Amino acid sequence: MSRVLIADDSETILLLMRTRLEMEGYEVVTAADGVEVIELMQRDSEPAPDILLLDAMMPRKSGIDALRELRAAGVQTPVLIVSAHQDEMDAGAATDVEVSGYITKPIDFDRLFACIAELTA
Amino acid sequence: MLTGLAVVGVARFLQQRQDFENATARSYQVEIAARNRLAGGDNPTAARAVIVTQQQKRQALRDDIDGETRDTALLVGAGLIAGLTGAALLFSGLISSMRRPLEELVEASGRLAGGDLETRVKIGGLSETATLGAAFNEMATELQRRAGERDQLETMKDEFVLTASHELRSPLTSVQGFAELLMLERDKLSSKQADTVEIILDNTRHLVRLLNDLLDLARSDAGRLSIKPAPTGVAPLVEDAVRTMRSQTEASRQTLHSEIEQDLPQVSVDRDRIRQVLVNLLTNAHEYSPEGATIAVAAAQRNGAVEIAVSDNGPGMAEDQLEHIFERFTRGDAGLTQHVGGTGLGLAISKSLVELHGGTIGAISTPGRGSTFRVLLPIEPAAAPGTPDRVEAGT
Repeated sequence: MSRVLIADDSETILLLMRTRLEMEGYEVVTAADGVEVIELMQRDSEPAPDILLLDAMMPRKSGIDALRELRAAGVQTPVLIVSAHQDEMDAGAATDVEVSGYITKPIDFDRLFACIAELTA
Repeated sequence: MLTGLAVVGVARFLQQRQDFENATARSYQVEIAARNRLAGGDNPTAARAVIVTQQQKRQALRDDIDGETRDTALLVGAGLIAGLTGAALLFSGLISSMRRPLEELVEASGRLAGGDLETRVKIGGLSETATLGAAFNEMATELQRRAGERDQLETMKDEFVLTASHELRSPLTSVQGFAELLMLERDKLSSKQADTVEIILDNTRHLVRLLNDLLDLARSDAGRLSIKPAPTGVAPLVEDAVRTMRSQTEASRQTLHSEIEQDLPQVSVDRDRIRQVLVNLLTNAHEYSPEGATIAVAAAQRNGAVEIAVSDNGPGMAEDQLEHIFERFTRGDAGLTQHVGGTGLGLAISKSLVELHGGTIGAISTPGRGSTFRVLLPIEPAAAPGTPDRVEAGT
């Protein structure tokens, strides 16, 4: 089954997403901010995730900034940006970073699972 | 100057006139005395000589005073003319020295009224116009200060709504997410527990809707409500909205059907936003209509636009309610809306969104018979080359 990396600064949301994703049979890795995402992606000891779900706004390093760094380093993994509202998406879309899709909070899990399935197929 | 001379001249003339009258009176007295002596036969030759002398003297005095009178009249006339000319000159000078600043004030008022709050006038000229100019500038400064404060408050309000909406969304995501998680194991819950979780979910969805609406309104007020129009088929748009509402209308045993005219042209709209408008109209129809009611969506071409009408056979609205229905926080009859879950913002946002598309939205209603909301959307102009933003937005 696919491996999903989720990043959010809210532990509760991480717990929620982990629970739902594991119920769907996904293997889940979590990060609390963009800095941890970069660290996890650089670690060779574990298998690389098949998809990243990054919260747009996080302390230390935002999901968008982390994504920009990863893309600059040549990482091609699909990335879904999870954000609290449309404005952040517009801001993200305005940048040149390649994003696979956007998910809004509150999360529509049916839609999220459909997106993940499509991107990791 | 001449006027001053004339005044002095007239005063001198009055004095001369007085002197003349005194001298004439004295001359008469001397002559009368001489005539008395003549009548008394006392030295008649000398008396006659006195009489003649006095008569000649008075003649000379009269000639003198006549000359003086003429000169004075001339002087007074000249003085008058000079005075009038001077006054006229002074007046026109006054007018022209007032006119320039007044014209400037009128122009500046126009600019100020037109919204140019930077406008100030040059202060100068007469003290009256200078005072007026200073007062105008003071007013403009005050207006500018208040406008600045108001803009600042508006910005703060928008920022607040954006931040609040953002901050509230995270806990709401958790509440809704965990409630949904519970509902996934519904069979393990008692029916009372399941009902409780359903209530939590309903209210969470309502809160989310309220947040989204507030956010849209804040964006609309800030002029940041943006749309990305693209050629869109009407049928999929209507069907999508109807599908979204299906489970809710079925739960109330309401009939929901759509009637879409064949071969409708594509409309130029932001699909998500118009879907939002349609879902909103359908939600209203659903929530305000009783169980078993009929809700219809009809799409047809009308006068170079596509009209989508959402009708219900619910309670309808009176004329005075209908007038305010697109204003914020306006809802139908208060008694009726107790059980209705709307935010009171949906129609205001729908109106903003439709108008942003260059379309119109309106409603007609008959109390007791139902309401019909009509949305007119612009038809996509025949896909012409050179409209890259549309092509881009469509991808």
